[in-house]
Amino acid sequence: MRIAYIAILLFLVTLGSVVFNFTTPFHFDAIGSNWDLIDITVYITFVVCGVAFVALGLLMAWWVYKFQYQDGKFSEYEPENAKLESRLTIITTIGVVVMLAPGLVAWNDYIHPPSDAYELEVYSKQWNWMFRFPGADGIFGAAHNKYVKFDNPFGMKPEDPYGEDDILITSNTLKIPVDRPVKVLLRSQDVLHDFWVPAIRAKMDAVPGMVTYFWFEPIVERVYEVLCAELCGRNHFNMRGEMHVVSMDEYRTWLNDQVTWAEMQAGAVPLSPEATTGRDIANEKGCFACHSVDGRQLATGPTWLDIWGGTVELIDGTTRERDEAYIVKSILDPHAEIVLGYTPTMTAVELTEEELQSILDYMKVLKSEPAETTIEDEQGASDTSPAGESTAEPTEEPVTD
Amino acid sequence: MATVEVPYQETVPLHHPKTWIGKYIFSQDHKIIAVQYGITAMAVGLVALILSEFMRIQIAFPGWELMNFFTADHYYQAITMHGMIMVIYLLTAFLLGAFGNFCVPLMCGARDMVFPFVNMLSYWVYLLSVIILMVSYFVPGGPTGAGWTLYPPQTITAGTPGFDWGIATMLISLAVFIVAFTMGGLNYITTILQARTRGLTLMRMPLTVWGIFIATFLGLIAFPALFVSAVMMLLDNFLGTSFFMPAIVSLGQPLDYSGGQPLLFQHLFWFFGHPEVYIVALPAFGVISDLISVHARKNIFGYRMMVWAIVAIGALSLIVWAHHMYVAGMHPSFGFFFATTTLIIAVPTALKVYNWILTLWRANIRITVPMLFALAFVLTFIVGGITGLFLGNVIIDIPLSDTYFVVAHFHMVMGVSPILAIFGGIYHWYPKLTGRMLNDTIGRTHFYFTFIGTYAIYFPMHYLGFIGVPRRYYETAIADFYPVAAHNLNKFITIAALIVGVSQILFIYNLVHSYFNGKKAPANPWGANSLEWCTPETPPRHGNWEDRLPTVHRWAYDFGVPGEEKDHIPQTVPRRKAS
Amino acid sequence: MTDTSLSTQESILTSTARDWSSDMTTFKGVPWGKAMMWIFLLSDTFIFTCFLVGYMVMRMTVTEAWPVASEVFALTVWGVSVPLLLIAIMTFILITSSGTMAMAVNMGYQRRKWAVFWLMLATALLGASFVGMQCFEWYKLIAEESIRPWGNPMGAPQFGSIFFMVTGFHGLHVSAGVVYLTIVAIRIVRGKYDHTNFEIVEIVGLYWHFVDLVWVFIFAFFYLW
Repeated sequence: MRIAYIAILLFLVTLGSVVFNFTTPFHFDAIGSNWDLIDITVYITFVVCGVAFVALGLLMAWWVYKFQYQDGKFSEYEPENAKLESRLTIITTIGVVVMLAPGLVAWNDYIHPPSDAYELEVYSKQWNWMFRFPGADGIFGAAHNKYVKFDNPFGMKPEDPYGEDDILITSNTLKIPVDRPVKVLLRSQDVLHDFWVPAIRAKMDAVPGMVTYFWFEPIVERVYEVLCAELCGRNHFNMRGEMHVVSMDEYRTWLNDQVTWAEMQAGAVPLSPEATTGRDIANEKGCFACHSVDGRQLATGPTWLDIWGGTVELIDGTTRERDEAYIVKSILDPHAEIVLGYTPTMTAVELTEEELQSILDYMKVLKSEPAETTIEDEQGASDTSPAGESTAEPTEEPVTD
Repeated sequence: MATVEVPYQETVPLHHPKTWIGKYIFSQDHKIIAVQYGITAMAVGLVALILSEFMRIQIAFPGWELMNFFTADHYYQAITMHGMIMVIYLLTAFLLGAFGNFCVPLMCGARDMVFPFVNMLSYWVYLLSVIILMVSYFVPGGPTGAGWTLYPPQTITAGTPGFDWGIATMLISLAVFIVAFTMGGLNYITTILQARTRGLTLMRMPLTVWGIFIATFLGLIAFPALFVSAVMMLLDNFLGTSFFMPAIVSLGQPLDYSGGQPLLFQHLFWFFGHPEVYIVALPAFGVISDLISVHARKNIFGYRMMVWAIVAIGALSLIVWAHHMYVAGMHPSFGFFFATTTLIIAVPTALKVYNWILTLWRANIRITVPMLFALAFVLTFIVGGITGLFLGNVIIDIPLSDTYFVVAHFHMVMGVSPILAIFGGIYHWYPKLTGRMLNDTIGRTHFYFTFIGTYAIYFPMHYLGFIGVPRRYYETAIADFYPVAAHNLNKFITIAALIVGVSQILFIYNLVHSYFNGKKAPANPWGANSLEWCTPETPPRHGNWEDRLPTVHRWAYDFGVPGEEKDHIPQTVPRRKAS
Repeated sequence: MTDTSLSTQESILTSTARDWSSDMTTFKGVPWGKAMMWIFLLSDTFIFTCFLVGYMVMRMTVTEAWPVASEVFALTVWGVSVPLLLIAIMTFILITSSGTMAMAVNMGYQRRKWAVFWLMLATALLGASFVGMQCFEWYKLIAEESIRPWGNPMGAPQFGSIFFMVTGFHGLHVSAGVVYLTIVAIRIVRGKYDHTNFEIVEIVGLYWHFVDLVWVFIFAFFYLW
């Protein structure tokens, strides 16, 4: 009898899969939220499916080994076995129910946020996260994509009294208090995005034109990386943020430092006409999808704050003077010189001579020192934008008890 | 009252083409059309394979200087083209276009498809759709990089590569493909329903035909949804309508849309997209059932249950589509319904797996190359199936969606398994198609590379999903969440993928070499029972049969019937008088 | 193996079951072309279903005002605005054409070639006039009411998009049907189908009735909702 290598292979593959499962370090990392039920359901599914997989794999390997071809032998003629088939149906159905039932219970929890959850809005755009808290009145002001402008990044509805005290965070960093359930409302400015922190387990797409939601309760104080989980264009992989789960005190202090919509409107410092033109052109060309102007370091591209002058380290290890020639080249032929730590994702921008000049004019005024020039709005990142911050009055934390 | 029904095909003469072009190029012979479909699908699949190797290299070795040309744009274009080509232009076209064309008339005992001319058009329109798809690499901006799901608004906004011409060629190509599929599909269904030979009842048909039958039926119901969404998206892109486009500000520019529904597209897309999974899987199920039965020299266990399982899976597959949208933001109550239907579909699917394995019990298994592929199919399908139970259960899908778990799952169930079935089918039917045997040693080598390789690619990949590696990331190295060990795993996967890719040369070499130099094939090398092995000539001539079509007396799975001389009895052998 | 003892009381269920479990053909006495047309129409039904479902979703989710059908589709005759006049005429014409088509099929059974020819031609003409009136309607909407696929003065931009798309797609079906009818009618009098039972007339009829039926749904959803 020839050796049935395939039988041995099937056996080894089945066994190897099991060994891999138990030895691999790649499993869910420590959970950071209340969603134990998800992990439990996954565990149950693992057990049920694992048993089925091993049983079927080994059975197949064994039978292939055992019932190899012999000349003249007849296989057993048994077209059907109703009893066996109905038993298998019942066993499978039971297995399915065992997996499905806890899943549906957990889903019921998932879609019903507790009544004491506070609300937080995540407003996503290519390729940044922004956050909004409802402010002192606990009610979000109306907002719509049609109101979005450079100095109204959230699309707040003008004159809406509920909106004035909304706290707007245009940086990628969010802080939330530990042990408080939060209902995350998701909006999008342009395409589908998905706010996702792996350790929290929960996620949901942000769909333009609608508000979606999910909820969770962070249970560990930690800094988490926020990922975008729904393909959103060429810089999808660079759309990151940070979520700090912190103590209530730290959260309150942090929130008090953030600006409200009213303050953002009041705090806007006028720019020179040339720079304004440059800013608007840059905005239209989509520059701010990847570049910040307030010193925030985005994964997508270098900030424009202080971009004029100084030196920069390039990906090939050389250092380059940031003069006009460099900047013009980086705009028109963006893949020529890549700054260390970034990936070449920028597409060449088509600009007229005047447009290019206006953008350069705008870049020139983006200086962190001296402070009195032209940060046209606070962009919320207090540590890096010294200008005009801090008229901020303490706002009450929005958590409703 | 008893008028004797005569197969209609016996009453109409068949027109044989006179010219070489009529015989082999614009041929109306279903076997030639099958070969044309097969070669085109394999060629375009090769393009998709190469794209996937580029993607794998980029994932494992980011920043490698040789890969500098491969920007994020190229990456997203590659994932899109790879996905679309593999799902539609390779798998659907091969399983229905090639296997469907070859198997349906032969296994039904028909001379040809009912409308050979339409059948021929089907291929040429398919070729046109492939050409349009390839043209997208030459239009300004390149092909679309929106991912094969083509979700709006991203598909047609400036943040995505190929957002204007690339997406247009893609959508037009899809629409043309749907026309081609409809022409072929109508033929397959009508042939199966109305052009079977004497004695061939539906419940005597080989499972391959059943799989193709239900899959084609699903295609005719599901592709319209894709067609409609393609039309609407084209209008959104070029006429400025707002079907799928709400008011948005794209990269600083307010766009002139308002009030559209991005989720409407997703519903339409997945109303096509989920049945599409079964359009690919059901023919594969059928082929595997036949392969296992023939090479295990045993009747397929529970034939009737297998048929009803195919029908049930087909019917259920129309009401599970939104399980692709658990995190899409649709009404949350849908989760209960779609999770339940999705897990219900697991029952008939599991029964099929049981029946394949039970067929092996007390069988007389010949370890031929097709059998190797069939056994590997069963194992990979089990893995792909049970990981589907994870993702189908709505709450588990929440952490796992959009991670590599999903990538691994659908490649296992929809990539590896059907491809193994296709390989198995080719090794099985090649002797009948060409009259020559494929080289056995090369075939086995090809099998081991392909099976072990693909398993090594996709099985560990599931676990990357557990640690939260998101799919569709051009570069993950710059993120902290990604442990070093995962990078090493990624390198391993890439190397496995390269080996699998290269080893396909063996297969192509085998196909070409054996066509000219292979051993002459006997009429029925595997000792199979179904009608295609009973043709008067090998390879079968145009028209397949003698003047009189064959008469079927039994099902196709009479292996090891007690008291018989041989261990198999072809379908054309009359039953003995009442025993 | 077929059971020949047909009883007249046999229920449809048993006869269907017997047909489905028989060999050779599942639909007894149905020519290939007819079976194929049925299956094609099933597929086509799903296209229109998807369009109409899309329309319903739009209609239910759009926040802006939807134009009022009786005003948009009104026709001014001698200074009086008559709601839905044009569309009533179009519907009447299309339903009439279904009638002439049915008569053509009946003549086909009797193999009266010229009668079939004239009736099919009449059907085609009625269909063509339907398309013509649809063109007029589109012209009126575009030129007089300034409705565009991407917007309109009355409210929701989806109104124009979905209306032009669905009626346009249906109009294409009617136009294709007119061409199909004409070709078949000519081939019939030229004797191309003499060796058959003229089932081709029935097949064309199936298509035409389907297009007509779809129109009834479009009419109900777009003009009466």
